[in-house]
Parts: sequence; structure tokens; C-alpha cells
Amino acid sequence: MTPSFWQSVRLVARREIVERGREKSLLVSTGLTLLIVLGLVLVPPALGLGDPPSYRVAFAAGAQDAVAGAREAAEQLDVELDVVDADPGAARGRVADGDLDAYLEPERIVVDEDLDVELEQVLQSASRQSRATEALADAGLDPTAVARAQAVPALPVDAIDPPDPDADARRGIVSLGTFVLYGQLIGYGFWVATGIVEEKSSRVVEVLLATVRPRALLAGKVLGIGVLALGQLLLIAVVGVVASVAAGVLDLGLSAVEPLLLLLGWFVLGFAFYACLFAAAAARVSRQEDLQSVTTPATLLVVASFLATFYVSDSPDSTAGRVLGLLPPFSALVAPVRAVGGSAEWWEAPVAVALMLLAVAGLVVLAARVYEGSVLRMGGTVGLREALRGHDQPVSRSSSARRTPG
Amino acid sequence: MLEVDGLVKRYGATLALDGVSFAVEPGQVFGFVGRNGAGKTTTMRIVLGVLAPDAGTVRWQGRALDAGVRRRIGYMPEERGLYPKMRVRDQLSYLAELHGASRRDARAATDHWVERLGLSDRARDRVETLSLGNQQRVQLAAALVHAPDVLVLDEPFSGLDPVGVDVLAEALEERVRQDGVPVVFSSHQLDLVERLCDSVGIIAAGRMEAVGRVADLRAGSRARRVRVRADAFAAADGRLADLPGVRTVGHADGAVLLELEDGTDDQAVLRAALAHGRVQEFTPVRPTLTELFREVVTP
Repeated sequence: MTPSFWQSVRLVARREIVERGREKSLLVSTGLTLLIVLGLVLVPPALGLGDPPSYRVAFAAGAQDAVAGAREAAEQLDVELDVVDADPGAARGRVADGDLDAYLEPERIVVDEDLDVELEQVLQSASRQSRATEALADAGLDPTAVARAQAVPALPVDAIDPPDPDADARRGIVSLGTFVLYGQLIGYGFWVATGIVEEKSSRVVEVLLATVRPRALLAGKVLGIGVLALGQLLLIAVVGVVASVAAGVLDLGLSAVEPLLLLLGWFVLGFAFYACLFAAAAARVSRQEDLQSVTTPATLLVVASFLATFYVSDSPDSTAGRVLGLLPPFSALVAPVRAVGGSAEWWEAPVAVALMLLAVAGLVVLAARVYEGSVLRMGGTVGLREALRGHDQPVSRSSSARRTPG
Repeated sequence: MLEVDGLVKRYGATLALDGVSFAVEPGQVFGFVGRNGAGKTTTMRIVLGVLAPDAGTVRWQGRALDAGVRRRIGYMPEERGLYPKMRVRDQLSYLAELHGASRRDARAATDHWVERLGLSDRARDRVETLSLGNQQRVQLAAALVHAPDVLVLDEPFSGLDPVGVDVLAEALEERVRQDGVPVVFSSHQLDLVERLCDSVGIIAAGRMEAVGRVADLRAGSRARRVRVRADAFAAADGRLADLPGVRTVGHADGAVLLELEDGTDDQAVLRAALAHGRVQEFTPVRPTLTELFREVVTP
């Protein structure tokens, strides 16, 4: 029985998954990526990055009001304040040693080099309050009445367009995810490329094309490697999220799902695009040594897209950012960044996806032609025009074998 | 019957094939010989449908080859043709499945050929770790594993030691004699071609210069020659060459090689030799395939 197109695709894809899945390099690359992701998730909190700032201060004797005020202000500003007792004679020395961040004298704040903005706010407001209370008492007013008068509730804030409280976390997921996506696109794009050159240089492709149509072979290879890449990505996502939640870095449950789905979806589109690009490039050469030069344009595109994401997350509302978020193939990496940046219009995502789908559809046709036109030409690099003209186009239908005229 | 009819193939300005035609009957082995670049591989790739000809057809049982029939061909490309990193058994099974076998049948066929070609203890090894000879056995197994109706083998014996050649040749002959599978194979080992093939085709610069049964080619390729060892030459050297239609073309070990023009009676030559004394040897000499080949391919 002759297998159908899709049966062939399935067989080819299965071989890719089984054979590549057995390769040590897959395990190594998965392990390395997991390590990098875990490192990025777990190392900053371990180093105390992102924690509220904490200060150790001492107050001159008799400044109970100021201490109380400072504690209050610190709480409001989310600053950790460690108030210690200090001998007035030794306090300045301890500041100079770095043991204390500041020493509050009645008339001045003593610091070693300069005063952090948060700590200055805390100490100044505490000092201002205690001195004001003192001045009021000196003027004969009842301090408790003054305190009562001052204890008015803070004004409520009425935001017209309030920011998503999870926006930062989602932005974090996407920027880490973009990094992983970038690695996957280049890594797996190269897998497709080396796989094609392997078949070409070992001439397996001749044996295969005697029974499989070139497009089925190409599609099976891209799908098989794509499934592996997606699987690896899912694993990374799950491990990354679980680690983040366990480490207390991420304080969100379901709202992490949306950016992850966004990333996975764009990975599928981006991989389809770049896999075709890498495949078409690889089919043109017969030796692994020649691969670098023909795949450089594809690699540069991925790198450029990745660099663009930094620009776009810095200035999400720029016209260039908007264009990059819509334009294939840049959109593969830029669109998720814009989507979580909160600056995208509602129509941008569907338009970006539609444009990318169009680009992929066009590229699939083009890549298949280049592939068919060059995969059986051994030797040097097959010119693009030559490959597209494809006068060596393999046949799979008897109609293409013409009869001798006359 | 596999018929190759008037294949023409151009690569840019180069005419790679210029009307290549031959036919292989069921149960026949067809040897395809020619210098490197003469067009053997191109012809085979066209038969396989891996390349499209600019003109000409390939027919199987009288019908133009289509994808369905092409899958029934077992093909062994000139070099390699296997995934270097794939394990022997997985590789063979995969190829059988690509040709339409179910997974179970593919496994069974793989086991059969692995055993038949003496690869059992290497079945789980990667192809790249095998010796050249064993890799070639795997290649042959790859061509046979889907029980093809036709075999097309490009240089199946190159680089094999004599024992390897025998194992491969035996397996091949079994397929041909038992199952009547027609075989096309190319080779530079002309003695092997002569031994295995029922008919041969000699190709030079994309043209079939000679096609036919080896015996017919040897007999009919050119004027007859006889090797004569006789007193006639010892006594009066060259006298026989004076006979009409006879020409001396060489000497070897005291014998003389004569070439007889068409229509010259060899018995008359023998009688003339006897007239001058004893005749120790009078042997018709047929050219070997190697000699034929040299004559055909050297311009």
C-alpha cells in the first residue's frame, strides 16, 4: 500500500522526534536552558535584589517622637528600618564604618557619603514632624489636639486607566520568555538546517525521495523538530513558573497563563517561519561546513528581532515599536512584548497574527520550491535563482516525465 | 519488464544523457558500465523518479512509471545513502515503513534481511560505527527490505573485499533467480559484471554505445580473432597474414593473434597453417568485457 502524503509526513516527523529525542545534545540543551531559566528566576531574590530597601539607623537621645514618626513613615514608604541604640560618642564613628546608614542628631542627619532618597524621606519627615510638634508645644498649643487635627485620612486615588497590578509580573514572564524563544528559534532552526544537510551529504535524501515527496519530507522534518522544540519550551515554562511561585518571586496564578500562551503561540508561528528559512538555506549546500554562510541571514533576522524587543519594551508607544510588533518576522518576538506592555490597541494582535500567517504561508511555498530545486544538487552552493528555477525538480507524478517527441 | 526509452537529460549546457535506452527482463541482471560521469547515476536517478528527464520515458510492465510503481523499486545510491547516526535496525524499519509497510511487517522484513546479510550482531549499532563492508550490506538490506519488484543499485560492490562481494552477489542472485526481480546495477568491476549479468549496457558520454547479452557483444562486437601457435610462423613468419582478409594484430608467447575480416573462412586459414607444418593451437579469441569496454569508451 502506498502511504499518503500525511502518512509520510507522520513517519518522517516520528523519526525526527525519536532519533533527536535520543541525542545527548537534546538533553544537554534542555538541561542548560533549564539552568539558565532557574538561575534568572532564583538568583536575584537570593541576592536580595527586588527586596524593599532596609536601613540601620540610630537616633540621638530623647528623640522618641522622631523614632515613632520614622517608623510610621518607613512603613508607608515600604522601607525596612532597623533602629538601634547608639552611644552618642561612638555613633559618628559607626556611621563612618558603615555599621550605621545614618545617625539622626537634633540638628542634622549624619551620613558617611550621601543619603539614599528613601531614607532621607523617612528621616526628614520624621524630624520635621517632631520639630513641628515641639514648636507647636512651645507656642502653647496642645500637642494632642494638633496631632488629632493632623490625623486626616489620605486622599483616595481615582485612576481613570488603572494599571494592571500583575503587569510587572507578566512583563517579567515575557521578557524572560522572549529570551528563551530567541534561543529556541536559533537552536531549532539550526537543527532543521543540519538535519537537511545531513540527509544531503549522506545521500539518504536520494533514497527517501524515491518514495517520499520532497514536500512531505520537508514538512515532516519541520513538524517533528517543531514538536520537540515546543515540548522543550513547555517543560521550561512549567519549571520556570513552578520555581518562581515556589521561590515567592511570582505572586500570580492564572494570570501567568496568558503571557505563557502568548509566547507559545508566537513560538509556533515564529518557528514555522524560521524553520522554512533555515530549511531553504540548508538545502542549497551539501556540506555542514558551508551551512554557516547560507544560514547567516536567517540568524541575523532572529538576532535583530531579539534586539528589537529591548527597544520596544523601553519605548512601547513609539511608531517603530508598533510597526515591529506587526511586521513579520519581527512580530514573532516583539508582539508578545507589546501585548503585555499594555500599549497595544485591540486590533494589533489579530493583525500581527494574520500578517505572520500570510508570511508563513508564502514562505512555505517558497521554501518548498527552493528545497525541491536544490536538495539533489550535490557539490557547491546552489544559487537561489537556480534553485527557484528548479529544472532539476524531482518528480512524483508520472505526468512530469514527458515522452520523446517524434 | 523494465524499459528505459530514449532518456535525455541536460544540465545547463551539458548534455548528460543523449537518448539512453535499454530493457531488463524479469529475472535478469543488467550491468551498467561506463566511466565516471558517463551518465549511469543520472539514468538511475531518473528511473527512481528522483530526477525528471528532459525527454524519454521509463516503463514497467508496459506502463509509464508512476509514484506507486517507483515505491516498488529498491534503490541503493552510489555512496552512503544511510543516516550515519541512526541504528541499523531502526533505519531499515523506517525505510520499509516509508515504502508503505506496516510497522510490524517492517520489523519482520528488517529482521529477515539483517540476518540474511549477516548483520545480526550489529543491528543495534549506529551505521557510522560499522565497517565499510558492513555499511554496504546495510545499504543492500535497505534496498531489499520493502520486497521491491525491481532493484536499481548504483555501484553496490565498490570498495568491498572479495568475501563481501560474494555475500552480496549471492543475496542478489537469490532475489533474481527465486523471485524474478529484474536488477540494474552499475559497476567498474567488469569481471564481476561479466560473472553476474545476463546483459550489459556500455555508456559513454551520455550515449549507450553497446547494449545486449554479454555473449552476443563479445561475439559480434568486431572482427573475429584467432590465436594461432604453429610451425607456419616459426618457419616463415607472417606468411599467413598474406592471405586475403587476414591481418596480424599481435604476438604473445610464441603465438600470433590474427584478425579475420567478415566473410573470411577460418577453416581456410587453418588449412593454410597446416600446409606449413604442425599446428599446436588454433583458438578463436573473444574479447573480454574489459577489452570491449576499453574499445568502446576510448575515443
